Amino acid sequence: MAAYIIRRLVWTVPVVLLVIFMTFMLMKQIEGNPFRKSERAVPAAVQMNLERKFSLDRPWYVQYANYVKGVATGDLGPSLVLRDRTVNDVVAEQFPRSIELGLLAFGWAVLLGVPAGVLAALKPNSRFDYGAMLFSNVGFALPNFLVATLLIYFVSVKWGLLPTSGWTTWQHKILPSFTLGLVPMAYFARLVRGTMLETLQQDYVRTARAKGLRRRRIVTVHVLRNSLIPVVTAAAPLLGYIITGSFIVENIFAVPGIGRYYVTAVSARDYSVVMGLTVLLSIIVIVANLVVDILYTVLDPRTREART
Amino acid sequence: MSAVQIAGRIAGVDAGAPIRQSSLWQDAWRRYVRNRGAVAAGAVFLVILAWCLVAPLVSPHDPNEVDFTNAYQGPSWSHPFGTDQFGRDLFTRAALGGRISIGIGFGATLAILGIGVVYGSVSGFVGGKLDNGLMRFLDALYGLPYLPFAILALAIIGTVNFWTMVVALSIASWFITARVVRGQIITLKENDYVRAAKAVGVRWYAVLGRHLLPNTLGVLVITIFLELPGVILGEAFLSFLGLGINPPDASWGSMAQDGRDAYRAHPHIIIIPSLAIATLVLCANFIADGLRDALDPRTKET
Amino acid sequence: MRLRIPVLLAAAAVVAVAMVAAGCGGGGEQERAGSGGQKAASQVLKMAWGAEPPSLDPGLATDTTSSNVLLNMMDPLVRLGPDLQPVPALAESWDVDGKVVTFHLRDDGRWTNGDPVTAHDFEYSWKRTLDPKLAADYAYQLYGIVGAEAYNNAKPAQAAALRDKVGVKALDDRTLRVTLTSAQPWFVQQAAHHSFLAVHEPTVERYGAKWTEPQNIVTNGPFKLAGWKHDASITLVKNADWRNADRVALDRVEGRIIVDGTTRVQAFEAGEVDALDGGGLPPADMPRLKQLPEYEKYPALGTYYYGFNLKNIPDLNQRRAMAFAIDRQSIIDNVAQADQIPATGMVPKGMPGFETIQQDFLPSRADLDRAKQFMARVDDPKRKITLFYNDSPGHKEIAVAVQAMWKELGIDATIKAQEFAQYLEFLGPPPNDAVYVYRLGWIADYGDPMNFLELWTSKSGNNNSRFADPAYDRLIEQARNTPNDEQRYEIYRQAEAMLTGPHGRLPIAPIYWYTYTNLERESVQDTFEINPLDQFDLSKVVLKET
Repeated sequence: MAAYIIRRLVWTVPVVLLVIFMTFMLMKQIEGNPFRKSERAVPAAVQMNLERKFSLDRPWYVQYANYVKGVATGDLGPSLVLRDRTVNDVVAEQFPRSIELGLLAFGWAVLLGVPAGVLAALKPNSRFDYGAMLFSNVGFALPNFLVATLLIYFVSVKWGLLPTSGWTTWQHKILPSFTLGLVPMAYFARLVRGTMLETLQQDYVRTARAKGLRRRRIVTVHVLRNSLIPVVTAAAPLLGYIITGSFIVENIFAVPGIGRYYVTAVSARDYSVVMGLTVLLSIIVIVANLVVDILYTVLDPRTREART
Repeated sequence: MSAVQIAGRIAGVDAGAPIRQSSLWQDAWRRYVRNRGAVAAGAVFLVILAWCLVAPLVSPHDPNEVDFTNAYQGPSWSHPFGTDQFGRDLFTRAALGGRISIGIGFGATLAILGIGVVYGSVSGFVGGKLDNGLMRFLDALYGLPYLPFAILALAIIGTVNFWTMVVALSIASWFITARVVRGQIITLKENDYVRAAKAVGVRWYAVLGRHLLPNTLGVLVITIFLELPGVILGEAFLSFLGLGINPPDASWGSMAQDGRDAYRAHPHIIIIPSLAIATLVLCANFIADGLRDALDPRTKET
Repeated sequence: MRLRIPVLLAAAAVVAVAMVAAGCGGGGEQERAGSGGQKAASQVLKMAWGAEPPSLDPGLATDTTSSNVLLNMMDPLVRLGPDLQPVPALAESWDVDGKVVTFHLRDDGRWTNGDPVTAHDFEYSWKRTLDPKLAADYAYQLYGIVGAEAYNNAKPAQAAALRDKVGVKALDDRTLRVTLTSAQPWFVQQAAHHSFLAVHEPTVERYGAKWTEPQNIVTNGPFKLAGWKHDASITLVKNADWRNADRVALDRVEGRIIVDGTTRVQAFEAGEVDALDGGGLPPADMPRLKQLPEYEKYPALGTYYYGFNLKNIPDLNQRRAMAFAIDRQSIIDNVAQADQIPATGMVPKGMPGFETIQQDFLPSRADLDRAKQFMARVDDPKRKITLFYNDSPGHKEIAVAVQAMWKELGIDATIKAQEFAQYLEFLGPPPNDAVYVYRLGWIADYGDPMNFLELWTSKSGNNNSRFADPAYDRLIEQARNTPNDEQRYEIYRQAEAMLTGPHGRLPIAPIYWYTYTNLERESVQDTFEINPLDQFDLSKVVLKET
């Protein structure tokens, strides 16, 4: 067990280095001048001063070495475009908002998706089951920009119930997080229903039932607990979805997170910000995978041997 | 998106025993047609495909002809889906957009399968330290969001067209497929007939090509339909962020993006392509479910 | 938890119903309120900014949003009057003597920490902007000053020596003497640009790059920066100690940063903001927005044009044919839709000297007959061409329209989009050989036609057309040294004719002159004004009862 964890941890280092290297090389391939922000041509002197200031006049391996050194010490460098701020500033101010958005979306999913799945499994092929599964399918399929546009139009513009955009009060946070939470919600509903149905067929549940245990007790004590393991393990891949979805949702709802700025930073050639955010997102995903795998091993001892 | 769906649903297949080859496809077909949802989804899917292929050929409207006197018309008999701000017929354009969206979808899915099969079969077949290394690498990247890398890839290539879209969408989306293929290969490798083949001195590429890969075909077919929705939505997201393909061509995603600005006055321009995307994704999901049940009955839900 | 289930289903129903309802739903109608004249009790303006300011340092800011925030927090030497002529602001007067301009500052300028604003602040600030170590993008705005370019170009070793040679000197606390490289009659109005604002030396030296954060910043204008949540909001409050504070009505300006055009319009229509910053409304929604009583438009000094790569379309007749085949009015009415003005030449309407310079060279409506005549004279017509544009909103639609118009001439244009940063690299100069036609726009930095016409000199970094004519270069140089307005305008007229006139070389086909469009609640509509350089002065805004 400990050996497994250590092995996983050790493997994380080269992977992170590789991701940094790949992102770095990718960035170097992008043409375009971060210092030309409009039609106006940049005079040679200005260009030179800027390149010197941001060390872009050094060979690429020096830049890479400096960058890795920076990441190791937690310094992601200055932004090339947001001249008053460093990448650390951008991350420190805007990343928590994205995390909050993601967690709230996840919250919607747990709050609505899990009970829907449980109830659907308890009464399979009922109307409720069909309804929940239909919703789940539609939730998967509708592009979130359409959902966002419709929600804003009806809830905010037409009925005036919630603000259209922004990220200040709790009212502002309902629509963006719900939109982003729709797919995880649909996913949880389906996942929980599937695992519940499977668990209900297991021998020990039948035994428990045969022993005359009350159905509610069986469900809450045995079935639900075992069915929730997949929900824990689904958190990691969902993270990838939530990051992807946040790009769109932050754009439409003017949420000042990093997903929105990422797109801007790529087109503005703000190399250091793009690098910083990509590396950060990758590290988060890598760490999340690690945590989930370890959790999974703890929760479900059977998998220990299978995962070498 | 794709990661999410696959992660959950492939689980059963992943650990599964090899799918028997004999009358497998006939059995599967029989099981598939019993699943009414999957059959309906398949039918709708084919109808959409047919519409995309045929409608532009028979349409009386030139999809790219600009006629401002006809702009912003709502759905009518001559324009079932209405017209856009240039007065172009959206019925024809949506069909053409479907060709591009579905084409990119299948293109990227096949690219994902290609990379995944190579990576997975090398890892699974060679085994040992190499396998261990490749898999640790995958473990770490599992669930990595594809969108940042897709955006980077598009920025590098510069001009966005069909093929750059395919590259962008597959570049960071193949991790799960690779893992699934590896799982299959490893399970198959332990089979008696593979051992026997090895024992009688059949070369490794023959073993791989003749015995192992064909037996993963079922899983791959399922994977196509599991990946397709994610890829199609991914293309729509990129288009929506303004990174779509060049006009006058358009995909459903870029058509929806065109429609968003005018959604208050002319909602049909965003709704039609969005619903087209949704329908296609829905169908692909149902087909994938049906295929999984048909090809791998053990995991069939009650 | 069980109670939530109906919510889930209700939400599903909402989405389903919404899809149907939105199909037939119309736009929301705004009630038309009578125009009131009473000053409202609460003077808090809620507005939407179109972007996060990349920097609120006058030396480093380059974009419109930063510029507008800055010009409302700071006191420039001069501001621009309605006709774009300079009017006194912090400088109460100025003398122009050939290449030497002397500004006389008021004695009641104050920084928000109580320090007086002096000529030394300006000398420090301008030299700081030129300092190669600061690496200011807009350092070149000051290149008209003697020694400025040399200092900005200096190697670290020589920098200190060159710094002292820059032609800006505070003779005393209230006198600033500027020595220019040539007469430059537009210099005084150029000083209204945000690059010429002063910064507070002790604050800048103390906090470095962080001096613009609200807790550190020291400013000297009508408003103070009370809050800046990055990418989210900017809050300005009235500076009660400003020299003209009793004329400022607004107590507070609560600005939200909303980048997406549609999102911005939604926030306005839902009543969350009272005014937008003129950052552009989504073109596709314009027909609806133009009907709203809150819709406003302002003339702008800017030209949207298509440029030709002379290497790929060498025949003047073909360029002329293509320029004449463009239906500018139709593009404005059907595509751009923001009440722009058809561009009949490069120098935009509203520019001082416009009446002398412009002769309606290009047609507003497509002149297909003449276009076809020109086309017929082309020896080796290029019928397969490529039209490049950058993928920002709105350009695609215009390209599609122009593509259709050129088809009438038998020209088959392939249109290709590129992302902006890459696009600019691609255009050079010199432009990539794949480029036949490209789109660009130019918005004025200052109100003199020089700012538009000098783009087409052979050494200009903004001339992407390969047009190079020594005679044209000589004209522009001559204009630079002609202080008399009428004489200069006459030179400009000749220059414009060499570009777009009947015997001009047509390196470009201008399409329209920009307008700024905006949404403003009726309570501020009378006093919220955007000038032709995209600046608005919040110190003049008064919220009224409606």
